[in-house]
Amino acid sequence: MTSAVWAVTGVLFAAGLAMVVLRRQLLAMLLGVELMLAAVNVALVHHAGLFSDAQAMAAVAIVIAIAAAEAVVGLSLILRVLRAGRGVDAGGLSELRG
Amino acid sequence: MIGIAVPLAAKLLFLAPVAAILFAFFVVRPLKPEWTHWPILLSCAIVTASSFYLAARVLGLFGIAGGSFDKDVLHWAAAGKWAVDFGLRVDGPGAAVLAMVSLVGSLIHVYAAAYMKGDPGFSRFFLVFHLFFLAMIGLLTANNYVQLYLFWELVGLASYLLVGYWFHKESARRAALQAFMTNRVGDFGFMLALFFILSTFNVAHFNVIYVKLALTQQQGGIPVLLPAIGALLIWAACAKSAQFPLYFWLPDAMEGPTPTSALMHAATMVTAGVFLLVRSWPLISAVPYLPPVVAGIGAFTAIFSAIIASTKKDLKRILAYSTVSHLGIMMMALGLNQVALAIFHLVVHGFFKAVLFLCAGNVGHAIHKPTANVDEVGGWRKAMPWTYACFLIAALSLAGVYPFGGFFSKDAILDAAWENGGLIRWFSLLISFGSAFYIFRMLFLTFHGSRPEQQGLKAHPHEAGAAFVAPVFVIALGAAGIGFAAPYVQELVLAGWRGLPTSVAAVSGVLNLAGSPLIPKLDWHGQFGLSGLMAALGFGLSYYLTMVDASWDWRWRRNHPRLEAVFESDFGWKPFVALLAGAVGAFARFCGRVLDKRWWDGAVEGSAGAAHGASEALAGYSAGRLNDYLWWMAAGAALLLGGALR
Amino acid sequence: MTLWAVILAGAVAAAFAGVMLFSRSLYVSAVCLLVVLLQTGLIFLLRGAALLGFLQVMVYAGAVMVLVVVTIMATGGEPEAGFARFADFSFPRWLAFAGLAAAACEVALTLYLGGASSAPVSPADPAMAAGFSTALFSSYALATEAVTLLLFLAALAVLPDKEAA
Repeated sequence: MTSAVWAVTGVLFAAGLAMVVLRRQLLAMLLGVELMLAAVNVALVHHAGLFSDAQAMAAVAIVIAIAAAEAVVGLSLILRVLRAGRGVDAGGLSELRG
Repeated sequence: MIGIAVPLAAKLLFLAPVAAILFAFFVVRPLKPEWTHWPILLSCAIVTASSFYLAARVLGLFGIAGGSFDKDVLHWAAAGKWAVDFGLRVDGPGAAVLAMVSLVGSLIHVYAAAYMKGDPGFSRFFLVFHLFFLAMIGLLTANNYVQLYLFWELVGLASYLLVGYWFHKESARRAALQAFMTNRVGDFGFMLALFFILSTFNVAHFNVIYVKLALTQQQGGIPVLLPAIGALLIWAACAKSAQFPLYFWLPDAMEGPTPTSALMHAATMVTAGVFLLVRSWPLISAVPYLPPVVAGIGAFTAIFSAIIASTKKDLKRILAYSTVSHLGIMMMALGLNQVALAIFHLVVHGFFKAVLFLCAGNVGHAIHKPTANVDEVGGWRKAMPWTYACFLIAALSLAGVYPFGGFFSKDAILDAAWENGGLIRWFSLLISFGSAFYIFRMLFLTFHGSRPEQQGLKAHPHEAGAAFVAPVFVIALGAAGIGFAAPYVQELVLAGWRGLPTSVAAVSGVLNLAGSPLIPKLDWHGQFGLSGLMAALGFGLSYYLTMVDASWDWRWRRNHPRLEAVFESDFGWKPFVALLAGAVGAFARFCGRVLDKRWWDGAVEGSAGAAHGASEALAGYSAGRLNDYLWWMAAGAALLLGGALR
Repeated sequence: MTLWAVILAGAVAAAFAGVMLFSRSLYVSAVCLLVVLLQTGLIFLLRGAALLGFLQVMVYAGAVMVLVVVTIMATGGEPEAGFARFADFSFPRWLAFAGLAAAACEVALTLYLGGASSAPVSPADPAMAAGFSTALFSSYALATEAVTLLLFLAALAVLPDKEAA
């Protein structure tokens, strides 16, 4: 069970990381971050169950909440960038501008 | 002699020309360029007066006390344990040459003011002309080798500017460049010698070097580098004084205005090489085999150029080769350890050569050309009586006819050569013969007779006016009478060496001047008679070939064009030098275009390209893209994690 | 059997993560992420953390993913060139079918497990639940407060600013 869970966590985390690193669209990168957070949660929950650790559960709850907040902030930032006329690609953010 | 104050006259030697040049450049030239010569002529007068005062002072004449002196005026540059000082040294040889240079140079200035009148570059000419004069004065009064080198280069630069004065002429530019380049070849030798001197003696002051050398010799030996120093100094002098391997620039340097040629040949430029050797003579004569080399170079050059001078048609070229020949005589005198004679001949030669050049200038002026050809003149004795008289005096002086100046100096040298014996003895007879031949040939072709080949009097020559004649006549008087100044020159030279510290003088014979610095007494039975005989032979032959068999000069050219080509190419030396220069040029081009441009620049620019490419490649990783940053962040996190887990 | 259920859910999640990674369409990526999150929620459920599973489904599937999809549609609605692919909201049929099939499979498996065993899903441990609440509201109360505040501020962040409007 543990190895299966770790496999799932690893695959999902790697997919999320690849998404963040390889994809150029800001939205896709945000999705990748969400995926990484979710992947870590899987392992946390599993081990919380194994060790009957309620604190880990609480941590997972907090992670979910933070992920939600982060998603919201990220989306609004992306919309701002788009409105500023700098596109929705990470390439549009390669320069500093006053 | 060290530690006394510098007299005002010595300071004026520098202050007057510098002030005159600055004033003329900044004030007169913008306001009234045709008045540029006035402050400069004033400066000439001051310099001449100062020079004669200093000469009198060295001699102790007229109750002027003080004698020679050698004093550092200011520290110019200091580096580590040695420093370069700017000093003034007025001793016998310096004062003797200085007096001649300032007098003859000043009179040439006066002549130039008339000759160059109305020339569009009048102002520029006078400024550079006076700079030339100043450079020579600085050279003569330098008290150390570095300062001497500085003025040596300044002389070269000024001569370049003056020879190339008519810069719109291709030939003038080429001649200026050739003169400058050839001098650079010699200057390089001087520079190396300077480095060797500094490394050997740790000092550049003449008086200290003489003492150090004397002390070394007292211990029975000479510095290891001394032969190299001597050879390099001789090499430098050969370039500046137009001696055999490097003489060829001087005849071509006729492209400048005639006053330039006069100044260059008589006073300022070519005598610098001989003077350098005089200054360095204690060094050179300390190496036993160097003086014969100097004598050999001088004797060979003297004969070689006397022969070529006899074949030239251009008046200024004849005189130029004659200068080369007489410089050879001076070198020969030096090589025979006759320092006083060399200086004396330098002085005398300055007088009569200036006259000859200025007369050639007058002749050229009569046909409105910078220089005249023997085809264009002929029989001008009546038309230009003053010029003729001056020329005659100078020619007699050059040929060594009593009582004119050349008799006392040149024939004394030839006498010394005769005394020396060996090959030089016969060379001296040839020189005597050759000098008389070429100068009287020139005299006859220009002023006497009438030949069908010459334009002659058809050109309606006329005397150019008092301003052209008066200065020449004054110098001619000098050329006539200078011979009787021989005791003074001898005294000056001796006084100069006497001015050395007594500790050095006590080392008897080390300075090698004891050899025979005296100017020989007249001896009608010895060489004087023989060389007079040779001169008379030369005179007779030239008279026969120009007056009796008047067309000989044109006939042999017509009949033997190949022979003329041989003379024209200086017995093949000029083409050889051209070949050499071409090879050097080709090598330089190779260095410039292939080695430097392609290989070295290629490597340098390639390195830049490589760096550019590398940075381009690396820049791809830091182009500000979020993904890349995240990638590096992830990689870093993975590294940290790996480190933490291990 | 729970193991097989976890493995199935994990496999489906991994497969959809792969599709999400390689799909050119953001829309497809977002929907795939939704599927993945649902699968992880299912794993939470199977691992006896029912509350967290529901939280996952609620917060992500219910709120965040809707927000994401709406944002994508908003940006895709821009008529500028280069954004054309965002306007492509077609969903590959095979993918939809696979998702539906996986869902059906899992439902069937859950029902089967539910039929076979009295406790298909690990029952919520009362002690765990108590410990969970204790951790969240006493030990980590400050952290919980902070996260709450963060959520509030995030809500403020999405409010349209007047200048842009």
